[in-house]
Amino acid sequence: MWSLNNWKTVFAAVGLIGVLVFCLPSVSLFVRDPAGERFSELYVLGPTHMAEGYPFNVSDGSNYLVYLGVGNHLGNSAFYEVQVKLRNSEDPLPNSTSAVASSLPVLYTYRVFLGDGQVWEDGLSFSLHVGFLGNMSGVVGATFNGVSVDVGKFAAWDSVNNGYFYELFMELWLMNTTYNAFSFDSRFVGFWLNVTAVS
Amino acid sequence: MRSWVSLFIVGLVVALASCSVQRGLAVEYQDASAQILVADQSLRVAFNSSLDAEQSGANVSALLVRLSDAGSILRRAEAALVAGNYSDALNLAETCKSLADGVRTDASALKSDAVASAGNWWMTVALSVASSVVFVVALFFVWGRFKRRYLKRLLRSRPEVTG
Repeated sequence: MWSLNNWKTVFAAVGLIGVLVFCLPSVSLFVRDPAGERFSELYVLGPTHMAEGYPFNVSDGSNYLVYLGVGNHLGNSAFYEVQVKLRNSEDPLPNSTSAVASSLPVLYTYRVFLGDGQVWEDGLSFSLHVGFLGNMSGVVGATFNGVSVDVGKFAAWDSVNNGYFYELFMELWLMNTTYNAFSFDSRFVGFWLNVTAVS
Repeated sequence: MRSWVSLFIVGLVVALASCSVQRGLAVEYQDASAQILVADQSLRVAFNSSLDAEQSGANVSALLVRLSDAGSILRRAEAALVAGNYSDALNLAETCKSLADGVRTDASALKSDAVASAGNWWMTVALSVASSVVFVVALFFVWGRFKRRYLKRLLRSRPEVTG
């Protein structure tokens, strides 16, 4: 048979657990989960939704497909812009360290609204309209998801790597609600294209 | 001489008509691009409102879906502008603006609700404290009865001599 002191301990434990259970709703009002690392993600996938099979040898007027994705891990809703740009090997890349975006013109824009923890993914179908003159190539225009835009970007023949190289890249911009303006989120992804006359 | 005059008048009419059409197109372009800017601004304001509502504790996932729809419509408006379909661009931009304005209004209402329900926190605290006190008092009562019965049983039990 248990002694009275043992029973006293049992009653005290039950009392303590009961008080904790009853106080739980109030405690949850004041205690928040510790915030993890806050960041946004930007990725580009090939036509099979895998990180492979990216278009490389592209010809005039042919259609190519990649998938863009954005993930929000900021702890609150976010309003993003994904800006699509084209550069040649002479044009500077965006600077992630100093958060300076490329000054090249924006060819196509996605507007993305995401809640915390949500991921967005959408296809980017594109074709380039190219011309060649001597050892120069030029991307005169492009079509992104059916929308035609003027480009006017040129690249000389690269005799080391044998091709006319351009990089299609995407920058992630985040709405800064304090200034009511988008700021470059220091994230960009891209892939190289070698334009050819025929596929 | 009369044929030259006729030719001059016809030429003048064609030139004036051409100028008028070009001016009309320029005005349509300006209207559409201005409306797109207005819609873009409305979208930003609507997002700011929904973020405010979220920070007040409201669930804004439905608002974000509507904002995404409005964003897609704005993208179509921009595409129509680039393609020279100015009236389509204008209509789509107006649709986007009206969607964004709707989101802003609903976000304000959600924020008010969230603020009001957050103001009831003291009720939760009061209920927690009251139920804890009742539980502890009830437990003391049960403990008292249990102790009495335990001691009674202990006193009733007789020592037995064995062997």
